[in-house]
Amino acid sequence: RTIKEKRDAYVQRLNDIYENNVKKAHIDIIRGYGKFTADPEPTIEVDGKKYTAPHILIATGGRPAVPSDSEIPGASLGMTSDGFFDLEELPRRSVIVGAGYIAVEIAGILSTLGSKSSLLIRHDAVLRTFDSLISSNCTQELENTGVEVWKHTQVKEVTKSPCGLLDVTVTSAVPGRKPVEGVIRDVDCLLWAVGRQPNSEGLCLERVGVQVDPKGHVVVDEYQNTTRRGIYAIGDVCGKALLTPVAIAAGRKLAHRLFEGKQDSRLDYENIPTVVFSHPPIGTVGLTEEEAVAIHGKDNVTVYNTSFIPLYYAVARRKVKCVMKLVCAGKEKKVVGLHMQGLGCDEMLQGFAVAIKMGATKADLDNTVAIHPTSAEELVTLR
Amino acid sequence: GKNEYDLLVIGGGSGGLACAKEAAQFGRKVAVMDYVEPSPQGTTWGLGGTCVNVGCIPKKLMHQAALLGSALKDAQHYGWNISQPVNHTWSVMAQGVQNYVKSLNWGHRVQLQEKKVKYFNIKGSFSDPHTVRGLTKAGKETVVTADNIVIATGGRPKHPMDVAGALEYGITSDDLFWLKESPGKTPLVYYLYIVFIEIVDYICLTGASPDVSLECAGFLTGIGLDTTVMMRSIPLRGFDQAICFTTQQQMASLVTDHMESYGTKFLKRCFPTKVEKLKSNRLQVTWKNADLDTEETDSFDTVMWAVGRAPDTKTLNLETVGVKTNSETGKIIVDASEATSVPHIYAVGDITEGRPELTPTAIAAGKLLAQRLFGQSSELMDYDNVPTTVFTPLEYGCVGLSEEAAVQRHGSDNIEVYHAYYKPLEFTVAERDATQCYMKV
Repeated sequence: RTIKEKRDAYVQRLNDIYENNVKKAHIDIIRGYGKFTADPEPTIEVDGKKYTAPHILIATGGRPAVPSDSEIPGASLGMTSDGFFDLEELPRRSVIVGAGYIAVEIAGILSTLGSKSSLLIRHDAVLRTFDSLISSNCTQELENTGVEVWKHTQVKEVTKSPCGLLDVTVTSAVPGRKPVEGVIRDVDCLLWAVGRQPNSEGLCLERVGVQVDPKGHVVVDEYQNTTRRGIYAIGDVCGKALLTPVAIAAGRKLAHRLFEGKQDSRLDYENIPTVVFSHPPIGTVGLTEEEAVAIHGKDNVTVYNTSFIPLYYAVARRKVKCVMKLVCAGKEKKVVGLHMQGLGCDEMLQGFAVAIKMGATKADLDNTVAIHPTSAEELVTLR
Repeated sequence: GKNEYDLLVIGGGSGGLACAKEAAQFGRKVAVMDYVEPSPQGTTWGLGGTCVNVGCIPKKLMHQAALLGSALKDAQHYGWNISQPVNHTWSVMAQGVQNYVKSLNWGHRVQLQEKKVKYFNIKGSFSDPHTVRGLTKAGKETVVTADNIVIATGGRPKHPMDVAGALEYGITSDDLFWLKESPGKTPLVYYLYIVFIEIVDYICLTGASPDVSLECAGFLTGIGLDTTVMMRSIPLRGFDQAICFTTQQQMASLVTDHMESYGTKFLKRCFPTKVEKLKSNRLQVTWKNADLDTEETDSFDTVMWAVGRAPDTKTLNLETVGVKTNSETGKIIVDASEATSVPHIYAVGDITEGRPELTPTAIAAGKLLAQRLFGQSSELMDYDNVPTTVFTPLEYGCVGLSEEAAVQRHGSDNIEVYHAYYKPLEFTVAERDATQCYMKV
C-alpha cells in the first residue's frame, strides 16, 4: 500500500503537469470517445459534436489483450497490467501468463516483493523475439530469483476456488512427452500479459478508407501517412515498436513535416534502443545475431560475447552475472547489434545506442578508453 | 642478446602488468618487479598496484557499501519495513573488501605464471641502462638485465611537510582501505585546495581523476561516520587556471553541495598547523581559519591526508642512468611513445608526467607500448576524450573539454552549451532531493 499511494500520487502529478502543458500550448482538450463520420471530408464526432481539420492524427494506443471466455472459460476472472496497478495489497499467490517483457517485469516485481509467483509460458523461453542470449539468460534469471517458470504451459480454464480465490487449470505439453494437466489453487492474482491490441475498432475507420491490418493496427507508411490523405497515425495503434520514446519521436517528426515544411521528416525505426526492467535489467539495440546472419550471411557476421560477475557482488554471497553480446557485420566490423543483461545495463545502453546510430565499428569501441571500475567498460574491452 | 630478458617491467600495477602480459603474448622473455614500501603507518599489500589494493577497487566497494546505506533509507518509502536507524559495522565490510582484494593479488600471481612472466618481489634500482638490482625483504640481492625496461612504479599519497605530527598521527588512503577496525566516530579528511587546483589543470588537459578526499569522505559519511573535510583555498594563480578552474568549480560545487546535504562537514578556507595525540588516544588538530583569521582546534579519532599523490622515484636511481624527470612533480618525462630520455627505457602510468592518473589509460598505454616494441605496431596512445567517473555519493562523470577550455580552444561564438537539471524517477517515491542532478553538453 505504501508504494501504491506514493506511486499513484506521482502519476497524478504527472497527469496534472501534462494537462497544464497542453493548456499552456493553447491546445483544446475535448473529452469523450471519437469516431469518424460518413461525411465527405474526414470528420470526427464526439458526443454529437462534429470536429474537422485538414490534418487528423490517430494516436489511440492500445490495451492489454485478454483471452475470451469462449477460448478459455473463466479467463475474465483474471486481470491485466491495468489491474496490476490497482492492487492495494501484495498478492500472496500470483500466476502471470505470458512471455513478453510485460510478463517478465511484472513477474519479477511480484516475486521480489514477496508474492509466490509462477510464470506460464507457451514455449521454453521468455522474450523470444530478443536475441537468443537474452531470451535464455532472462528465463534462467527469472528462475534464479524465485519465479516458477512453467514452460510449454497454457491455461485451460479458470474457476473460483472454495475460499473465493482462483483455481487455474493448466496443461503442460513438453515436446515429445504426453501433455500433463494440473491445477494451481488459491491464486489471488491471475494476470494475463499475453499481448496488447490496438484501440481502433471503435473509430469507424472504414468510413474514411483508413486501412488496418488483420489485428486492427492502422497501416501507415514510413511518414506515418495512413491510406487516406490528411489522416495520420502514430504510436501503439500502428503496432510497430511499442515504446513511448518512439511515439514521441514519430509525433514530433510528423509535426515538423506537416507544419515546418520539412518534407523528409520521419522517424528512422532502425536501431531503437530498448530496456526491459527485469532482474537484472536488459538493454538491447539493433539486430539479433540471427537477424544479422540472415541479412549479412554467416561469414560476414562476427559476434563477441562476455559473461562476468559485476564487482558489486565481490563482497556479497549472492552472485548475479552480467552477459553481453556485440554483433558486428562486414570486414570493418560495424556494430549492428548490442544485447546485454546485468546490473546497470539499463543506464548503460543510451550512450552505446548513440555510437551505434552513428555507425560505430568494433574498433571505435576498442579505441574508447575504459572507465574503471564499471561494468560498462566490458563493452569496450571485448576480445 | 646478452641481456637476460627482452623486457623488464618495474612496477606490478595496472600499467606494468598490462605491458608485461601483452609482451609475453608475443613470446618474449618478460620479468616484472613489484615491491610495496610500507606506508608510514606500516600498511603494505600484494601484487596489483594502487588500483587493485588501495585505489579503484576497494574505493568502489566501499562507495557501494555507502550507497546501500542510502538505499536502505529509500527503501522505507518504497514499502520495505526496515527498522531505522540502520547501522554499519566497518569490520564486516573491511573483511569482505580485503579478502576480495587478496583474491585479486592471487589472480595476478597466477596470470603471470600462466603467461610465463617471471615475478620478483624486490625493490629495484638502476645500476646502468640495462641493469636493475634489487633487494628482497630478507636483504638478498638480485640483478636483472633486460633489452627494454618499462618503469611503472606509480605514485603514493603525499603527506604535508609543514604540519607537525602529520606523519606520525595521520593516515592516508593507503591505510584507510586496510583498517581492520572503524576509523571511528569522527575521522577527519584533510584536503588542500592548492592541490585541487593542480589536479584541476590535469582534468582540463588530460582528464585525470581527482578527488580521493571527496570519494573517501563520501563513503565514510555514507556508512555513518561523522566526517569533516578541511580545505584550504588559494588565490587563483592566473587567468588560465581561473578558466580551467571555473567549470570544475561548478561541477565540484554540485558534488560538495550534495555531500553537505548528505551529512559531510566542510571546513572551507582552513589549513591545519599541527596534529597532537591526546591521552585518550584521540587526535587534536589545530588549524587556521583564513576567513575569520582565527586559530581553532578540535579532536578526532582519525586524521587522513588526501593532499595529492607523488611518484616514488627516489630509490629508483634515475639520475645514474639519466632518465629525466619534471623538477616540480618528480614525474618521468615521456614522449608520445612513452619513451624516456634514455633509449630502451620507457614509462607508463601514474609515474609519467602530463598523463591522467587512471587505470584504463595506464593499461591501454602499456599494451600499446608492448605492441610497438614486440608486435610491429606503430599505434600510439590517444589521451584525448578519456572518460572518467568520480565515485562520490552523487557520482560525477565527465569526458572531453570543460566549457571554459572549449571556449578557449574554439572561441565563445563557436560554442553552444546545452544543460539541464533533472530529477531521476527513482528519487520521486523516495522523496530524495535532486537539486544537484545536472548534465551539460
